[in-house]
Order: sequence, then structure tokens, then C-alpha cells
Amino acid sequence: MSASATESPVERGSLLAGGTRARLLQAGPVEASEAVVCVHGNPGSADDWEGLIGAAASAGRRALAVDLPDFGDTIAPDGFEHTVVGYASFLGEALKELGVERAHLVLHDFGGPIGLVWVAMSPEALASITLIDTGILPGYRWHKLARIWRTPVVGELFQATATRSAFRMLLNRNEPRGLPRDFVEAMYDHYDRRTRKAVLALYRDTDDPGSAAPELTKLLAPRDIPALVVWGEHDAYLPSSYAERQREAFPSADVHVLPASGHWPFADAPETVERLLTEFLVQQK
Amino acid sequence: MPSTDPHSPIIGDGPAYDAVVVGGSLAGCATAIQLGRAGLRVALVEKQPDPKAFKRMCSHFIQASGVPAIERLGLLEPMEAAGAHRPRLHMWTKWGWIEAPPERAARGLNLRREVLDPMVRSTAAETPGVEMLLGWSGERLLRDGGSFAGVVVRNREGEESELRARLTVGADGRDSKIAELSEVPVKTYPHNRIAYGGYFEGPPPQHSPDSTIWFLDPHWAASFPTDSGLYFYAAMPTKERLPEFKREPEAALVKFLADLPEPPPIRDSRAIEPVLGKIDMTNRVRKPVAPGLALVGDAALAADPLFGVGCGWAFQSAEWLSDSVMPALQGEESLEQGLEHYRRRHAYELRGHAFFIHDYSNGRRFNPVERLMFSAAARDPRSAELMEAFGTRQIRPQQMMPRVMPRALAVNVRHALAR
Repeated sequence: MSASATESPVERGSLLAGGTRARLLQAGPVEASEAVVCVHGNPGSADDWEGLIGAAASAGRRALAVDLPDFGDTIAPDGFEHTVVGYASFLGEALKELGVERAHLVLHDFGGPIGLVWVAMSPEALASITLIDTGILPGYRWHKLARIWRTPVVGELFQATATRSAFRMLLNRNEPRGLPRDFVEAMYDHYDRRTRKAVLALYRDTDDPGSAAPELTKLLAPRDIPALVVWGEHDAYLPSSYAERQREAFPSADVHVLPASGHWPFADAPETVERLLTEFLVQQK
Repeated sequence: MPSTDPHSPIIGDGPAYDAVVVGGSLAGCATAIQLGRAGLRVALVEKQPDPKAFKRMCSHFIQASGVPAIERLGLLEPMEAAGAHRPRLHMWTKWGWIEAPPERAARGLNLRREVLDPMVRSTAAETPGVEMLLGWSGERLLRDGGSFAGVVVRNREGEESELRARLTVGADGRDSKIAELSEVPVKTYPHNRIAYGGYFEGPPPQHSPDSTIWFLDPHWAASFPTDSGLYFYAAMPTKERLPEFKREPEAALVKFLADLPEPPPIRDSRAIEPVLGKIDMTNRVRKPVAPGLALVGDAALAADPLFGVGCGWAFQSAEWLSDSVMPALQGEESLEQGLEHYRRRHAYELRGHAFFIHDYSNGRRFNPVERLMFSAAARDPRSAELMEAFGTRQIRPQQMMPRVMPRALAVNVRHALAR
């Protein structure tokens, strides 16, 4: 998804965090204790962030992303809790392992609730936040696909019949410009049996993704944390009307609703998202 | 006889005019020029006292369909000499760019209203037979039996005078007072977008000197390179975006344009004057004639500015009216017949376009037919050419649909099979 010719090279590796061997993408000064930390959503993987990691590193930042357990190439150990809290704890362990003390979080989709719970656990470690089609979602009602996943038997049937072509069609159907073919193919390559199972568990455990909104707003708003909000106007899963509402928790947020984008702006408008993120990061101390 | 001094209070009980035109903007001046050149006596009334006054909230883009009327007025060369651009159109859609083959693409006109309006007004003022009355506005209509017979005008000092004429022309814009006084039937259609725009200097946008339009479905944006090395950047999002534009118009415009796919270099540009916005643009369609009275330009049909038809239709409707009533005013037929010719011509030329424009102006997204046509035009040069001819109002919907629809279907089927 790289858009810029001047991006820093992204290195691939792994780390062991909380008993999970996780795939890692990283660029920039790896010894820095302050880093841009990208958290993917569903379906997604660290690969989603390759372009943005490169761009952030080009702006002088250490930048990284990991495959969350049972996403991408990361296999969750037995007993791993496929819950928002479980994933947030994993994220905390991973950052500790990587020596990251201050994080510029970049969150997408389900990475939002996960990242925000981690923020609630360690608010002092948050340097800035970039919300891409995610955030604090008061009053949110699950989208249609999520409701299918959350329904026993129906969810399993759906996952069992999600062939490559059906997956491709489903994803593109709701995207205003369609998604790049290689992006969708890579996403499906990672959408294996483990991931499908993890998705069902995660969605079924999350009754209301907006339930923590009042507490998070109360915690974050007084801190006025630097925030960038990027939202595809035609997001079929998380309505772009939530973009402006992020100011309730992040009063100084710079909000961009991209008029021709869908749920994955970093895939359908990579140049714009990279520009916005790098400019935002340059402004941070 | 009223004075020819544009600033002098005139009039008294002078002889009747052949026509009194209320509104000295594009449509009114064009009407007065045409009638004056035919040897008729015309009073042209404009409420602004300054002959250099101009319409500020306007994209100034003139569709290719309006160019022949401008050429006939003898204004094309002076406009080009004043720096007008002759742009082709490049239209961004989510399916790709719609670009007619360059050698066949129609060319519109881009000249700032600050330059155009004084030019058209001075041409009208210099036309023999045309008496320009600046600083006067139409207050009441005069009647003669069942027919309108002129207008009572008033200046800023409150002086009033009667201008008696065989034909009264309302060219006083979207909120036409003449139309209101005449009580002609009017239909309104809701408009659910806002319009913000401004002139910038800086690096040229892509496709410059051509114009670029983004159909963001449902939002819209445009860049219009124009005279003096300036670029007019405009956004027409739906009204949900109003709060941010109201809060900081220039910042919101810059952000909106900068976040477009393949954006223009607006962030590296500088606004040379405040960004202006318009919130209420209700479409108004009025019956363009009544006994002894006609409406031209926006007074007759005020359509969504998104499609850039206002300026072109002002010139065109003035031409149609002049051509239609000239024989009557020269005594060759009744005025009633002349006005009926105009009514029919106006409806024939614009009704189809207006239907599509009004329908889209409620802020909705493309319907299936539009999606079919736009996607085909992005994939097929011939479809692009037809869409461009329709979009620049050179062919009417009834001419476009039978040619575009079968081809659009075929193009999209071929595209689907090739995937």
C-alpha cells in the first residue's frame, strides 16, 4: 500500500509477548522508546500498515505494527482470550517487550476498541492518537455482518462459506471505489480458520462497542490529547457521522472525512492518509 | 426623454419604451443589447449604482452551450482578450476520469464576474437605443387592461418614476421581484447542498487551463482556472457539512479540496479574497411569460449551480427571448405570439436538463441510471463524449439517452466480463 517513493524500508520480524509469538513490522529508529504503534482491525493484519509505517519512519519516527493473535501470521496460544481486554493486554505486553514507553497510537476498525482499552489501562503512555474509521462509539449498533457473526450457527455457516470470490465481492460491494486487488487478496490469505474463529469469539464477546464511551470520554477529554481523525465518508460499517463526535473525547482533534473513501481509507486513498499522518506526527513533540 | 447619463435621476412621463428590462446583470444586459441592436428603445434598470458591480457568489463557469450566444453578442473576442480561458472538462468519478477526446471536447468559458459583468454592462450601455438606469430598482408593475405595461422604479433617495413599455422583462435573478409582482406560477424544488468557493493564486491544478470537477457522490468539488493566473476552487457538499464550513469557510474549503482524490494544490495556494458561501439555493422554475411580460436568466429558471448552467442559460434565454419577440416589437406579429414562441423555446431547450438537475439537487447519491452512464463514460471514450456533450448542455436528455444507454450497458457488461 506504499504510496511514497521516499518511505523508509520496513523490516519484518517477530516478538514474544505474553506467550504469543507475534509477527512484527517495524521501521525507523528501533531503539526509540517513543513509537508510532499501529493496531489493525478485522479482517486485517500488520500488513495493513506497511505504507504508513514507512511514511512515519520517513518523518523520523520509530513505527511498528504487530499481527494481533490469530490474525495475520500470529497464532494465539491456548487459553488466549479473544476479547477486547485480552487483545488490549496483549498490546500492552508487546509494547513492553518492544521497549515502547510512549505511543502515538494509530487505530483502525476493531483496533479502536482494543487500543482505547489499552489507553484506559495506561493513559500516561499515550502521546497522540490517530483514529482511522474507528474511535469512541456511543450508541453504536453493530453492522449487519457483525450481527451475523454474533449469531450462533449463522456465524459459523457464514465463515464456512466465505470463499475467496465471495469475500472479495463482499468487501468491494460496500466500498465506493473498490479496494486494490492485492490488498483484498492479502487480506483473504490471512483469513484462515483460526482468524475466522477468533472473529466469532471477539464479536460475540463484544455486546456493545460503545459501552465504555462515557468513561473514556471522562478520562480523555480533560487531557486534550493530540488527535487526528480520518474517516471514509462512505464507511458501511462504522458511520462517518462518528468522525466529528471524536471531539467529545479529543477536543482538539483534526477531523478529516474523506469524501471518496470507504472503510479502508489507507487502502483507497493511501497518499492522502500518509500525508495527513506524517503532517500530524511532525506537529507532535 | 430620459437622460443617457447613467447616474442621473430621470424619467418623468417620457414616451413609452419598446421594452423595459429590470436587472442589469448577464441576462438583462444581453436582452437589452439584442433588442437595442434591432433598433428598439430599451430601458435597462439596474439597482446597483456602480457600473462595475458584479455578482460575487458565482463559479463564473460558462458551459459550452452558452458560447454561441456570447459570440453573437460580439463578446467572445473581448472576453478572450481579457484573459478568459476556454476550458475543456475533466470529471472525476469513482470509476475513473471522464474525459472526452480532446479534439472533440467542447470548450466553455472562464472569466471572473468581476471582469465579465462590467464588460457586458458597458456593452449594453453603449448600444444605441439602450438607456441604462443605474441605481434604480423595480417597485411595482404597471398594467394596461389585462397586460403588464412597464414598471415603476425607485432610486435610493426614494424618488419614483414610471417606465412605460410594451414589453417588461424581469432579469432580476433567482429572487426576482418582477416575477413575484407578476404572480407568474412558480414551482420550487429543494436543494440540499451548500456552495463555498473562492479565488486562489498558486501553482496550477492538474488539467489546467482546463476545468476539473469531482463527482464525489453525493458531494461535488471543482477547480476552474481563470483569468489573471487565478483559480476558482469550489465545494458543494451536502448540508451535513455546513457546520465546519460556517465555522471557518476558508479552512473548510482548503481541507475539503486537499482531501480529494488527486487533489488540486490548494494547500500551496493563497486565497486572494474571502471564501464565500451560499446556503439556500432552492430551485425555482417560473412560467417565463405573462401578458406583456417575460422572465430571463435565473428569474425564469434558477437551477442548482452544481451544473454550472446559470451564466450560460442567462445568455441563451436572453437570445431566445430577443429572437422570439423581435418580430412582435417591430410590428410584424402580436406580442402575445412572440411571448408564446419564447415560452415554447425556453421549455424545449431547458425543461429536460432542468428535470435532471432538480432531481439531483436534493443531495441524493447517483441513481442506478446515473451510475450506469457515469461508469460507462469513465470506461469508454465515445460514452465520455456523449456525456460531456450532455453535461455541457449541447444535447438535450432526449437526444442523449437513446444514444448513451445501450452503449453504457454494453460497455459495463464488457467491463464485468473482462474482470
